[in-house]
Amino acid sequence: MDKKKLRNDIILIASLLLVAIVSLVFVFVFRTKDNLVAKVYLQNTIVETIDLSTKQDSDYYVDGLKGKVHIKTHDGGVAIVESNCPHQDCVNIGYVYETNRPIICAYNAVYVVIEGSNNDADVRVG
Amino acid sequence: MKMEQRLRSIYNMNFKKIFPLSLITFISACSQTPFVLEKRVFPFDSYAYIKLFEGDNSNLMDLANIFNRFDELSDNYLQRTITNVFSINQSNDEVQINKDLYDLLKISYDVKNEGVSNYNILCGSLSKKWKESLNNGQILDENIVNDEINKINNSDILFKDNYVVQRLGEAEIDLGGIVKGYVLDMAQNYLKEHNLTSYLIDAGMSSILLGEKKPNDGYFNVDLTEVGLKDNYIKMKNCFVSTSGVYRQGKTINGITYSHIVNPVTGSVINENDAVIVISDKGYFGDAMSTSLMMNTVEEIKQIEIDYSIKTLVIKDKKIIYQNKEIEVFKF
Repeated sequence: MDKKKLRNDIILIASLLLVAIVSLVFVFVFRTKDNLVAKVYLQNTIVETIDLSTKQDSDYYVDGLKGKVHIKTHDGGVAIVESNCPHQDCVNIGYVYETNRPIICAYNAVYVVIEGSNNDADVRVG
Repeated sequence: MKMEQRLRSIYNMNFKKIFPLSLITFISACSQTPFVLEKRVFPFDSYAYIKLFEGDNSNLMDLANIFNRFDELSDNYLQRTITNVFSINQSNDEVQINKDLYDLLKISYDVKNEGVSNYNILCGSLSKKWKESLNNGQILDENIVNDEINKINNSDILFKDNYVVQRLGEAEIDLGGIVKGYVLDMAQNYLKEHNLTSYLIDAGMSSILLGEKKPNDGYFNVDLTEVGLKDNYIKMKNCFVSTSGVYRQGKTINGITYSHIVNPVTGSVINENDAVIVISDKGYFGDAMSTSLMMNTVEEIKQIEIDYSIKTLVIKDKKIIYQNKEIEVFKF
């Protein structure tokens, strides 16, 4: 009886350890670095959150302070493709794929930034 | 036998109860993300990203309000709800301003006495004209440049009692090259008053305040890709990281890169260096100095480093042409 009990205990402990190892593998390997989202701000408020992990092409239109701003996603990146701002600095940036590299249309107070993690950088200088 | 019996007894009593609980706790701990509070605000036609690894939402809001307050005060394009730089630029009359703006103006005006020789807050009008010209794909006419330099040389700011200032001459004030660093100094004072040591505040990539990162060794990885060094980074903590460079805002016309940084002596926007990173312990100083050093040679920069206890990284043609020996560059 003791031997059977011990065997059952060993099976139980081994099973729990296996579950633990599988869970840890799942957490560290599948906690992907590509959990990227693009957040669109109008002034200080988030008006759109776009999941970039699907890498689908899509279009979004935001009513900025002085006109409509057209935002596109493509292959995991995001860009402002149209704006009525006079200097078009935001449009000229093109597609951004990196985190914490905002696209700013100050004229319309529209800001687009990718958040998440695609490398080990905490911050960028520029 | 007695030992074996004792061990068996302990095992039977405790181990089978404690082990699964310990396992669950261990797995949860491994999968937990560290505590962090974050907020983005958009002052100075740019952004500020505030990240706290301790504290609470009220700290986040207080810091955001510091940025918003100075955004209003330093605006030289629009009149805001409060007397600001735009207001001062409209006339040569005495103007009473609030203490915050007075202190900011004074420190910005005086910074040239701290070795920041290529920085002048009276370049506002010249900067605007260069910006407009380059946005139209054109180089600013030399006569206009000379005219603006003349204005700068014949202008001044008087600081009087009761927070009164008076602009003399026609040159306009522009605090763009210093205000972010100054605001980070305000932010650092706030964080110290509230005993917060673990934070990162990014003011538009050009001015960054770093505390100590939690967890790990306290160092933050600072990505240098945007200054021409793709996939390179430096590790920093407890300092200000101030950057000036042509890669993001420069315009290339006929193979020559024109930056947004004006030499206040010559009026030129062709800089000696492509990017300069300054590591310092004062935000306003690092900011103004990184702008100024864009126009200095490496030999001059080495001497300034010694004189003013800063560390620099200088980049040209996407290569490091000078690196302070205390700064190590890594690759991702």
